[in-house]
Amino acid sequence: MNDRLIQLGKSSTMRTLLKRLGFPNLPQALTRSIHPWEEHPLKDQIIVTGQIRASTLTETIAAIVARLGATALIHGDKSIYNIFHSVGAGYGRLPQFLSKDEMPEKSFQAMIFDATDIQHPEELNLVYSFFHDYLRSLSRCGRVIVVTRSPESMSDIPSATCARALEGFVRAMSREIGFNGSTANIIYVDAKAQDRLAPVVRFLVSPRSAYITGQPLYISGQVQMKTSPSNTRPLDQKVALVTGSAQGIGAAIARSMAREGAQVIIMDRPSEEIAAAKLAAEIQGTLLLCDITDVSAGDQIIETIGKKFTGIDIIVHNAGITRDKLLVNMKPEIWDQVLDVNLRSILRVNEKIIPKMRESGRMVCLSSVSGIAGNRGQTNYSTSKAGVIGYVKTLAPAVANRGIAVNAVAPGFIETQMTARIPFATREVARRLSNLNQGGQPEDVAETVTFLSSPGASGLSGQVLRICGGALIGA
Amino acid sequence: MSTMNSSQRRAVIIGGVRTPFVRAFGDFTPLSTIDLGAAVVRGLLHKYPIAWKDIDSMIWSGVILPSDTVNIGREILFDVGLPMEIEAYTITRVCTSSLCAITLASAAIERGEADVMIAGGSDSTSNAEVKMPATLVHKAAPVFLNPKSTVKDYFRMLTSLNPKKDLIPQRPAIKERLTGELMGESAEKMAKRNQISREAQDSFAYQSHTRAAKAIETGRFSDEVIPVETPNGKTVFTDNIVRGDTSIEKLGKLKPVFAKDGTLTAGNSSSLTDGASAVLLMNEEKAKSLGFQPLATMRSWSYDAVDPTDQLLIGPAISMPKAMIRAGMKRDDIDLIDIHEAFAAQVLSVLKMLNSDQFAKDRLNLEKAFGEIKPENINIHGGSVALGHPFAATGARMVITMANELKLSGKSTALLGICGAGALSAAAVMEAV
Repeated sequence: MNDRLIQLGKSSTMRTLLKRLGFPNLPQALTRSIHPWEEHPLKDQIIVTGQIRASTLTETIAAIVARLGATALIHGDKSIYNIFHSVGAGYGRLPQFLSKDEMPEKSFQAMIFDATDIQHPEELNLVYSFFHDYLRSLSRCGRVIVVTRSPESMSDIPSATCARALEGFVRAMSREIGFNGSTANIIYVDAKAQDRLAPVVRFLVSPRSAYITGQPLYISGQVQMKTSPSNTRPLDQKVALVTGSAQGIGAAIARSMAREGAQVIIMDRPSEEIAAAKLAAEIQGTLLLCDITDVSAGDQIIETIGKKFTGIDIIVHNAGITRDKLLVNMKPEIWDQVLDVNLRSILRVNEKIIPKMRESGRMVCLSSVSGIAGNRGQTNYSTSKAGVIGYVKTLAPAVANRGIAVNAVAPGFIETQMTARIPFATREVARRLSNLNQGGQPEDVAETVTFLSSPGASGLSGQVLRICGGALIGA
Repeated sequence: MSTMNSSQRRAVIIGGVRTPFVRAFGDFTPLSTIDLGAAVVRGLLHKYPIAWKDIDSMIWSGVILPSDTVNIGREILFDVGLPMEIEAYTITRVCTSSLCAITLASAAIERGEADVMIAGGSDSTSNAEVKMPATLVHKAAPVFLNPKSTVKDYFRMLTSLNPKKDLIPQRPAIKERLTGELMGESAEKMAKRNQISREAQDSFAYQSHTRAAKAIETGRFSDEVIPVETPNGKTVFTDNIVRGDTSIEKLGKLKPVFAKDGTLTAGNSSSLTDGASAVLLMNEEKAKSLGFQPLATMRSWSYDAVDPTDQLLIGPAISMPKAMIRAGMKRDDIDLIDIHEAFAAQVLSVLKMLNSDQFAKDRLNLEKAFGEIKPENINIHGGSVALGHPFAATGARMVITMANELKLSGKSTALLGICGAGALSAAAVMEAV
């Protein structure tokens, strides 16, 4: 399960040697964090900021940067600098000004470009020149974030055109900086959803989003938001159910959530009892041994919740299987099994438990890049995972008025038991076909699911967030 | 003693005294923190003659507490010769300690636990214990404590000792355990982040020294400071750290002490000091019946904490507005402001944050900042940079000076702010009675 090339790449002599010999770059070991959320994730680090012009978002971004504990290095005019200065003074994080042609002295951790006020395609040149000038000094495992308005909320055609153009820009840029472990993503913010931006930026700029790159995220105000979210222990007092959590990605999700304060119900088949019980003991969670395809699964879940808790806040549908076979060779049982576990049981169970979800609840369903792009031998799997996408997109608006956000994550190649069984050659190729040139870790999925389950993710609903390291397949 | 549930009781400060504040390893070196505390309590009772049996209890405080007698308050009581039925406990809340002792005493009196209380604090930096490494005790104690240990056991134990790790004592330092930073290093970071210049810091230090020197010269402190006799036969009458003859040029020549290119120097930081201070509090009714004229009351207070890794000493910028809100008062209702000067840079950073709307929004949930406070409008008789900072004694010093100032000037209200190690802070609003 170990990616040998990442291990090799940690030695600088190896890197130089292989480079001299003309080999392509070894994958960069990614900086990850499995520590609890901290108040200042980018403490004492530098973020370079740029913009088309001052916008309604400038002050919000200034506050985000200061609250991250970072210093802003501002590329722009004095009016922007003054806004950042008056905000930063309250945190003892005064910005620095980057005048034209001035290069930053040392490399910096992140770049944030505010394109909210982009009006016509000529202004795309400002985006080009900002990144052309400074991208080189982005440190390893750096972060690039472009923020703009969603094309739908833009009043005129040229602005909407530019907004969509920026997605192509970010996708291409992410393919260029991935060799270094750096990621680039674009956030589309709806007109009235500015107050939901901060937690999303915090997540994307932190090491927790190490395997997300080249992705668009859409922030809207459709989900009711009651209280302002906290930056630490976000899942305090929350009850969460994670299906299929005895091992692999599910177990990582359960651990991550428990670490952030949630009380987790670990659900898996009775055959997984030992692993599941061990995990339950480790994170002081509740054990529920039940096959999700049981007709009574929903009732069993409700019964378990009723025994110890007063309600359920978070539901993660992680249970899933693969039974790969070319369609013409696929026996009916195999087709049926995969559809049943991966898709039908979700609808069955949700019918019972969604009415029991508390206000401001969260649901995350595991899809896959296979559901987006299809995969040879996976007609059953891709069908089920694409079904999850459709389900999430249509369920989200239906529960938004209860403050419940529903999203899907689509992992790419993640190093688990499941992918370890893939034959070597295929596995190697699958690993390398992404911007980051490596497979992801279960933690990458876990941290993203935890984030999507937090109160701060109220701006994201009905989304499919790929955790694929910028895989080359699909979009 | 009144019943516990009496309402409308008000605790008042009759008055207080302090020892001179002397630079560490000076004339007060032979006096332990208990000796200094005993001297100041004797002085207090000499100045305010009350029947000793009328005293209900004592709350003392210290930061450097001797490990063999941690409850120094009780030992002070024994040394002074007070009745042993007077209970006494000792608290530590770092540099806010004696302010905390005073507000605890106020709360106890107002709750009906007591009618007459002494509250104060003392610290002898000169007598800070220098500890042998714990590993020495771990290795040696089992052998010493075992009655069956043989010469061979002792020999084996002695040879197992590592001279470097087990035998070299640690030098005491004012360091945060969490971050490993010296307090001065944390303050240096604050100076950089809030852009407090060397000039501004030296200017403030100059203000502190000249004002304190003037207060001593004009006899303003003569009512508050009691002479202390040392075992060498010498009697100390005044604070000896204050430099009335300093100048901004002289301060400018000092080298930075906490960072190579830093701005904090010995001149604009508070010094290691020995000293003690004590305050007499009473229930207002009792004070009247005994014929005492109280000076002031602790109208409100606030104790808070911030993140030690993010501006260690910024706490007063949170505590001071909170104490004001609790007193139902606004910025303009305050006549006097006294802020403990751990470092000039720290005071100036706090003043900056008190004037920041963003800070108020983010940390206090208020729309507007507390307000602008010019450095020259605080600490009218100087502060810790000039007078010194015997850690636990500082809070009570500030209360005593402000209480007297309210009486002398006829003003009504004073706001106090103190920062402390571990990122704690305290503030209190005093009102003349």
